[in-house]
Amino acid sequence: MVGAGVAIVLVSMYITWLAGRIDRLHARVASAQSALDAQLVRRAAIAAQLAEAREEQIGARAAAVRSAAKAALHADPDQREAAENDLTRALDRLPLDADDPMVIEMAVASRRLGVARQVHNDAVRDTLGLRRRRLPRAFRLGHRHPLPTYFDIAEFTVATAPTGPDAPERTRPAVGEATPGPG
Amino acid sequence: MRIGIVCPYSFDMPGGVQAHVRDLAEALISLDHHVSVLAPADDEDDLPPYVVAAGRAVPVPYNGSVARLSFGPLSFARVRRWLREGKFDVLHLHEPLAPSISLLACLAARGPVVATFHTATTRSRALAAAEGVLQPVLEKISGRIAVSALARRVQVEHLAGGAVEIPNGVSVARFAHASPLPGWPGDGGAIGFLGRFTEPRKGFGILLDAFTQLVASRPGLRLLVAGPGDADEALSKVAPEVRERIVLLGLVSDADKARMLRSVDVYVAPNTGGESFGIILTEAMAAGTAIAASDLDAFRRVLDDGRAGALFPNGDASALASTLAGLLDDPARRAELAGLAREAVAEFDWPVIAARVLEVYSAVVATTPAAVTAEDEPRTDWLPKALRDRLR
Repeated sequence: MVGAGVAIVLVSMYITWLAGRIDRLHARVASAQSALDAQLVRRAAIAAQLAEAREEQIGARAAAVRSAAKAALHADPDQREAAENDLTRALDRLPLDADDPMVIEMAVASRRLGVARQVHNDAVRDTLGLRRRRLPRAFRLGHRHPLPTYFDIAEFTVATAPTGPDAPERTRPAVGEATPGPG
Repeated sequence: MRIGIVCPYSFDMPGGVQAHVRDLAEALISLDHHVSVLAPADDEDDLPPYVVAAGRAVPVPYNGSVARLSFGPLSFARVRRWLREGKFDVLHLHEPLAPSISLLACLAARGPVVATFHTATTRSRALAAAEGVLQPVLEKISGRIAVSALARRVQVEHLAGGAVEIPNGVSVARFAHASPLPGWPGDGGAIGFLGRFTEPRKGFGILLDAFTQLVASRPGLRLLVAGPGDADEALSKVAPEVRERIVLLGLVSDADKARMLRSVDVYVAPNTGGESFGIILTEAMAAGTAIAASDLDAFRRVLDDGRAGALFPNGDASALASTLAGLLDDPARRAELAGLAREAVAEFDWPVIAARVLEVYSAVVATTPAAVTAEDEPRTDWLPKALRDRLR
C-alpha cells in the first residue's frame, strides 16, 4: 500500500516537473516568435528603403525589391514564409558596393534575422521534442498551447560586385555568411 | 551589458577553449562591456582580473585527452553564488556538455543562456545515449554557437539542434606587430611550420620531403619549426646536411608564436586532413606572412576561396616544393599574397567576432526578458546542518 502511495507521489512529481518544463518552453517559443517577427519586419523595412534610395544602381530590380518588401510586411501568417522567401530572392546579389552603408545595414539586418530564426527554430525543436513524448501526450501536458511550427526561409549571402571596372569580383560574402537550411 | 562567461577547463593549462574564452572576454571588455569569467582554478594569483575561481580543478580524462575540470557540490555552490551575485544580462557557457562547471551553470541558471560548442566530439554513440538525460539541460540554452562547420554538424546530427557558426577569432594586432626573431628570415630564405609535427595528419613529413628537394639548390634556405613533439624521432630519417638547416623551437608561448610567424618568408600548412577550421592560417594571415597550404576545403575557405594564399595539391611534396620555389623567388608575389591575406583575415579579428557574439546575446536577451539568476534553491532542511552550511 505504502509502496503504491510513494510511487504515485513520485510519478506526480515527475509529471509536475514535465509540465513546468513544457510551460517554460512555450514561453520561450512565444518570445522567440515575437523577436523573429521584429527582425522580419526590420529587414523588410530596410529593404524598402534600400530600393528607394539606390534605385539608380539597382535598376529594374528595385521594383521587385519594393513589391516583395511590401508583400512581406502585409502577408497573412500562412503566406509569411513564402513572402519572406520572395524577399530573400529579390535581395540576392544586388549590384551594389559592399562598402555602401545601406548595404552594410542590410547585411547586418539579414544576419540578425538569421540568428533570430535559429533561436526560434531551436525553441520550436525543444518544445516539439518534449510535447511529442509519451507521458506529455498521455497527460495532454501543454495542450492549451498550439504546437509551434518551424520558420523556414532560405538565407542569403551578401555577395555584391564592387563598383569600378578593375575591381576583382568578390564572390564570398562581405559580411558573414548566414547558416543555410532549418539548422 | 553585464556578461557572465563560464569556462569548463582550468586556465592553468594552455588550450583552445581557454584561449578563446580569454580573447573573447578581453574583446568584449574593450567594447565597454562588463565581463566576469568563471573558471576552475587552483592558484588565484595568476588569473586575469576578470576571472573568478570556481574551485580546485581535477585532472579527468575527457574527449581523448586529460582536462582539468571542476564538478561536485562545492563547485555547484560556487557557481550558484557567482550567478546570484553577478546580475548578468546574459550567461555564456562554453562546452556545456563537458562534465564541469558549464554543465553545472546550465543546471543552476535561469534566464538568457548562450552556449558555444567547440569540439566535434567523435564519441557520437555516447552522446546519443546521453541525449535523454541532457535534454533538460540543453533546453535552458536559448542560443547556440558553433566555432566550426564540423562542430555545428555534430550539433545538428547528434543533438538535434542548430547553431550559429561563428569561427574562432584571432588577435590581428598582436600578430601583425610582433618583431621577427634575431637573425631571421635571413638572406637565404626561411620557411615556417607550426604544430604537432609527429602527427601524420599535420603533414610535416610532406614538408620535409619538399624542403629536402629545395635545399639542394638553395644554400641559405632554413626551416623554422615550432610545436610539441620529439625532434629526434621526427628528423631521424633526414640527411645531416639538411638537418643542420632546420631549427626547432619546441613548444612556444603565444608571444613567441607571433614572432616566429613574422620570422619566415613563407608559412607552410601541409595538413592532409582533420582540419575543421584553419586557425593556424588565420594567425599566419594576421602576421602578414605569405602562406602555402594544402588544398583542403577548410583552408580554401579561410584563404578567401584560395586567393589569399598559394594552394598546392594535398599530399604532393613535389608540388609543394615547386610552389615554395616560386614564392621564395618572387618577393612581389609574397607581398601581394600577404596583402590579400590581411584583408581576408579582417573578418576573423576578435572585435568583429565579438560583435557577432554580441548579436547572439541580443537575440537571446530579446527572447528571455529577465536577468540571469540562480534557480531557487532546492529544499535542504532535510539535510544535516553541517552539510547544509557547506552548500550555501
